[in-house]
Amino acid sequence: MNKRGLFAVPYVIWMGLFVVAPILIMLVYAFSTAGGGFTLDNFLGMGDYLSVFGRSFYLALIATLVCLLIGYPMSYWMAREGARFQKVAMLLIMLPMWMNFLLRTYSWMSILENNGLINQFFRAIGLLDALGVDHIQMIRTPGAVVLGMVYNYLPFMILPIYSVIVKLDRSLLEAAADLGASAGQVFRKVILPLSLPGVVSGVTMVFVPSVSTFAISRLLGGGTQMMLGDLIEQQFLGGAYDPQLGAAISMVMMAIVVVCMTVMNHFGEGEEQAVML
Amino acid sequence: MKRQERLGSRLLIGLVFLFLYAPIVFLIVFSFNAGDSSAVWRGFSLHWYAELFQNRLIMESVYTTLLVSILATIISTIAGTFAAIGLYSLGRRKRDALLAVNNIPMMNADIVTGVSLCLFFVAFFQGWGGFAKWFNGVQSLVELPTRLHLGFTTMLLAHIAFNIPYVILNVAPKLRQMDRNLIDAAQDLGCTWMQAFWKVVVPEIKPGIVSGALIAFTMSIDDFVISYFTAGSSTSTLAMTIYGMTKRRITPEINAVSTLLFLSVLVLLLANNIREARLERRRELGAAPRRRPVPALLQNKWFHRGAAAVAACALAAVILFLHDATASRPVVNVCSWGEYIDTDLIDQFEEETGIRVNYQTVDSNETLYSLLKSGGADYDVIVPSDYMIALLIAEDMLEPLDYQKIPNFAKIGDRFKYLSYDPDNLYTVPYTWGTLGIIYNTAMVEKEIASWRDIYSDDYAGQVLLINNSRDALGEALLCLGYSVNTTDEGEIRAAYELLADATRRGVFQGKVMDEVFQTMEGGNAAIATYYAGDYLTMLENNEDLAFVIPEEGSNWFVDAMCVLKDAPHYEEAHQWIDFMASTEASLANMDFIWYASPNEEALAAYPAYYEELYEEPLDQELYEIMATPPEVLERCEVYEYLPPETRTLYNDLWIKLGI
Repeated sequence: MNKRGLFAVPYVIWMGLFVVAPILIMLVYAFSTAGGGFTLDNFLGMGDYLSVFGRSFYLALIATLVCLLIGYPMSYWMAREGARFQKVAMLLIMLPMWMNFLLRTYSWMSILENNGLINQFFRAIGLLDALGVDHIQMIRTPGAVVLGMVYNYLPFMILPIYSVIVKLDRSLLEAAADLGASAGQVFRKVILPLSLPGVVSGVTMVFVPSVSTFAISRLLGGGTQMMLGDLIEQQFLGGAYDPQLGAAISMVMMAIVVVCMTVMNHFGEGEEQAVML
Repeated sequence: MKRQERLGSRLLIGLVFLFLYAPIVFLIVFSFNAGDSSAVWRGFSLHWYAELFQNRLIMESVYTTLLVSILATIISTIAGTFAAIGLYSLGRRKRDALLAVNNIPMMNADIVTGVSLCLFFVAFFQGWGGFAKWFNGVQSLVELPTRLHLGFTTMLLAHIAFNIPYVILNVAPKLRQMDRNLIDAAQDLGCTWMQAFWKVVVPEIKPGIVSGALIAFTMSIDDFVISYFTAGSSTSTLAMTIYGMTKRRITPEINAVSTLLFLSVLVLLLANNIREARLERRRELGAAPRRRPVPALLQNKWFHRGAAAVAACALAAVILFLHDATASRPVVNVCSWGEYIDTDLIDQFEEETGIRVNYQTVDSNETLYSLLKSGGADYDVIVPSDYMIALLIAEDMLEPLDYQKIPNFAKIGDRFKYLSYDPDNLYTVPYTWGTLGIIYNTAMVEKEIASWRDIYSDDYAGQVLLINNSRDALGEALLCLGYSVNTTDEGEIRAAYELLADATRRGVFQGKVMDEVFQTMEGGNAAIATYYAGDYLTMLENNEDLAFVIPEEGSNWFVDAMCVLKDAPHYEEAHQWIDFMASTEASLANMDFIWYASPNEEALAAYPAYYEELYEEPLDQELYEIMATPPEVLERCEVYEYLPPETRTLYNDLWIKLGI
């Protein structure tokens, strides 16, 4: 090893301490009882929470799809605009991230409440009377949770896709057109395959935080939409104190996510993550 | 591109931005609201901006947020850059393996990272405790602290841990692009390795370092989950403060502070953009970029070393200052419920005694218990409810009090002493007492509510809020069925669960809430809720249509009492605080602020007169009786008692089952 290689040594130790050791400790917790003995109960009892797993993955999947459906065309159109437009647009996408996400989510609460902004608006234009209802229930529904996820994580979808599309070699598109491809064919055969790595990293960056969120489901789901994050939080800092079970659920969630991502990355041909910014 | 098409795409881009910015605009607008609601506009005012700078909780959390983000950014940028250089001089195989490990924190869900770090720190503290005891035993030169807690340091370590991978990810591509021969060339020309590093490597990879630092900073500022699990109880970032508040009511000061932060970022970014645009224009005009000559001083290596030393000292000073601010003054760490104290009393106590009060809140007894169990808390004084006190005593987690140091204990009414949770009264000084009841909106509910049955009936389906803690929610159902709230009979408890589960299936409950109830009931967003009498009176101030009733089947009456935790580091200060809070003056001020009855008989009797003097109108007797429930009503109510572990496990299991 040469001299510069020594710089890696402190970091290897650091990673051992703060990346590998915590996960190993979590693994130990997952297989132990409160008294410290070995057990498999934490995993065997997990069937009870199947519906929570189901709901989390289902809602996160919908949120990811919605993000993709909005984020892809958005990135594509942005990349076709002038440099100045692009710069301002990027700035506008990054900017909300500097306002804490809890606050922005909280703001949605007052918008979606039964007497919130949207219901007030519907009432004012007579829509509620026409439908013969007092209000439209929006908050504390699965839809509100998905909305919260899409709202918070949409930038994570746009940024990587955009950064891939904007770097596409224009001459490739021209070559395809010269060779007789229609606009649709250029998109399907050239742009789409080349932008896949961006899509893969966008999907990862939206799906992982969505599936594990607890603040969004707590605020917008009003305790009715328990997700994996809530379940884990409950075991550590909530009412049902049981860190062993919490560790076990975290491990299972982590395993499922890793498997999903490995499959995803297979499609992205293992390209390295598109760097944001 | 066709014009129409472009117009269409721009319109859609605009819609997405509308979606992204609508809540932000809404938030900013309401920071100028004269009222304290986040949904009802009461006119323009700058009031909340003035309040903001008086609000210690918010200002401290802004300071903590900035400090942890800046420190984490600096440290992880430096460490990450060197790590990247080190990684890139390794062989490909080793490098790829290490980079895979490096990616773990980025790929993992935040909650997994947070939880695993939390467990890691707690395990380390346990090991450390044993080591420190042994070490202190074998020598007496250095006294090591035996009890460590989650706090600022652990949160900082966690931030560094999740920031470094981002720095490496940004620096690595620049290193790959760099021509390795450059370093050799520099060294051939007589540079030392250090010189080559500063003059060749750093300028080459600078863009990577800058964008790495920027991302690290953004991640730190925006983080909530990892801080939440690693900061413990005594430090709180802005995000954690906001999360605590979302449960009750976000004060508009939060809107104000966010507006200020948002605008300063906006100004910075705009300034940067304008500067870049100007540079670009100059470049387009063909003017050669001006090169300032480097002053000789900047080329002197001793100057560099001096500067580095000064920077290191400054960093150390900041850390020491922080340590100093939290450690050297006498401190007492208090944990209570949200809006459960007149905050002026804290200032008054600090002025009188010179003791700094670290006041934290949690939202339920169960949460408090989890925090204590996980070692995440370093409180001295806590204010749990009766049944939780019984549990804490049973688990030997409380320290007996020295009543000699609490003369005001004599003023506490005898009916609040020697209760079942602390039969010999060794551990507690009662803080407040009250009842649980049904709150309903008379504008939405026509009939008079009188029974627990009404909260499970289809009449108000979708309009009822269930209380979000197992003891109260199952207790209400037990009462409804005519059982005792302290039953240990599994059949009875399961029957109560079935009542709740059945109502849940029928869609009776709009949601499960704790302190969110304020906002929801005040805004008329739900018709019926069950909560505590004192909180009802607070809600009444904001919505006159609300009514409170203790159902005919009876209810729970509770005592929340101040206790000191086992081995509390500030035992003396804790006693001073307890005595201060038990005094008649503090009890009166507190009662007026939080509307919970005090167990101080002197204060209780004097309150109507105190109220009349303060507001120049007599206190409504009906309201007074809701606050200080008369004995004949209390007779119908039961106090929660200690439940054996099997029953507690049953409660927890059923409660989780109800949620999924």
